[in-house]
Amino acid sequence: MKAETEAKLQAEILESEPGRAILTCIQCGTCSGSCPLAEAMDHGPRAVFAMIRDGQVEAALASNTAWYCVSCYQCMVQCPQQIPITDIMYLLKQMSLDRGLAPGDNKMPDLYAAFERQVRLFGKVSEALLMADYGLKHPLDVMASTPAAVKLLARGRLHLLPRKIAAAQRLRALLEAAGQKERAS
Amino acid sequence: MIYGFFPGCAYQAAAGYKESVDAVCGLLGIELREIEDWNCCGATAAFSRSQKEALVLTGRLFALAARQGFEEIVTVCNACYSTLKKAAKLLDGQPALLEQVNRVMAAEGLLLEHPLPVKHLLEVMLRDRSRLSWPRGECRLPEQVKVAAYYGCQLTRPWQDVPRALRPDILESLLEAAGIEAVDHSARTLCCGASHAVAYSGRCQVLIDRIINGIRAKGGNLVTTVCPLCQFNLDQGQQGRAGDKVPVTYFTQVLGLAFGLPPEKLGLKKLLVPLKRIGL
Repeated sequence: MKAETEAKLQAEILESEPGRAILTCIQCGTCSGSCPLAEAMDHGPRAVFAMIRDGQVEAALASNTAWYCVSCYQCMVQCPQQIPITDIMYLLKQMSLDRGLAPGDNKMPDLYAAFERQVRLFGKVSEALLMADYGLKHPLDVMASTPAAVKLLARGRLHLLPRKIAAAQRLRALLEAAGQKERAS
Repeated sequence: MIYGFFPGCAYQAAAGYKESVDAVCGLLGIELREIEDWNCCGATAAFSRSQKEALVLTGRLFALAARQGFEEIVTVCNACYSTLKKAAKLLDGQPALLEQVNRVMAAEGLLLEHPLPVKHLLEVMLRDRSRLSWPRGECRLPEQVKVAAYYGCQLTRPWQDVPRALRPDILESLLEAAGIEAVDHSARTLCCGASHAVAYSGRCQVLIDRIINGIRAKGGNLVTTVCPLCQFNLDQGQQGRAGDKVPVTYFTQVLGLAFGLPPEKLGLKKLLVPLKRIGL
């Protein structure tokens, strides 16, 4: 059964627009070497590509690798095979969320979820509210930034009230419609 | 000249960015007209969660801008810039995605024929310089100020619009046009950690230190940035640092100083590392 799931996940990645390029990876490791946060990752991008080709796809999706991707695109510019590595990292994040495989010990899924809630409520993001929402799950991170927040507030750099776009509710309806289409397809 | 402006969420509260953009654009004859009722671009968060939702956020922006008569979108933030470029590439390259977005947006009466070109204000100033009222006077920035240009990561790659993704020089060129000779250094496109600095401040501190140390090692005593998140991370990231802090400004603040605009109009008091460190 497991093998079947792996094959299906593998096909979904390798048949996707950014994912098919994984087949051209020469395993040189330039991506892992140029990544600013590779040290924090369970596996560097090179190893993740090897795992996907080797059929260890669920482990690749459950790893923290894509969640530590800062989206700086350095690997993508450096890759001698011109593999769209950052785009593939986005795909892996989307797939791991869809399947409930996102690593529980990485905090970025919570930060991104809080970000999305801001967008759905107001159409825009206010830093203070984003931090308050994210802080419900990760109070230590928010407490650590409190001295900074006080300084920012004193300099008029922290806005406490949300700024809402006129079409916030209608934008939310569009996002929900897009999400439903995604689940249906 | 009138430009379709997408300020992005972080712009309003950023350390004097708005003040200095207003002051410098006023001087140069640039009118930034906001895209009416613009929404958040979704940044890295939306594309990390759902491509379809990310494309609706960006698709709405493109459609609004086009409907309001703009032919390109001007941004002042690397994350907005790269998110819009990424979306444009997908919507241009895969007609099925464009169709999908249009099907959703039809409920709002929005239709997108094709995404608009996306430019950073920096690119626009340089491109249209001959048509702007560029000051001819001498550079008013004191000589002891050694400016280091910092691009951050998302502006220059991998869109290939800004030449030389890893060693760009457009910011230096713009500074030069204002009479500023920037110091050469190799940290200009290193990543500041972006939003990971919220959840992983310790790991990102290493990245921030690497950038500040690189700039200091080459004699820079003032950093200039083109993105609210870069500015915030580099400014805030020096708060725990001992004596050798470097003020971190926006490019429009440095341009404003060079053009001789009154400092109080450039929002300079909002910086965490104060400019008086370098005698300003």
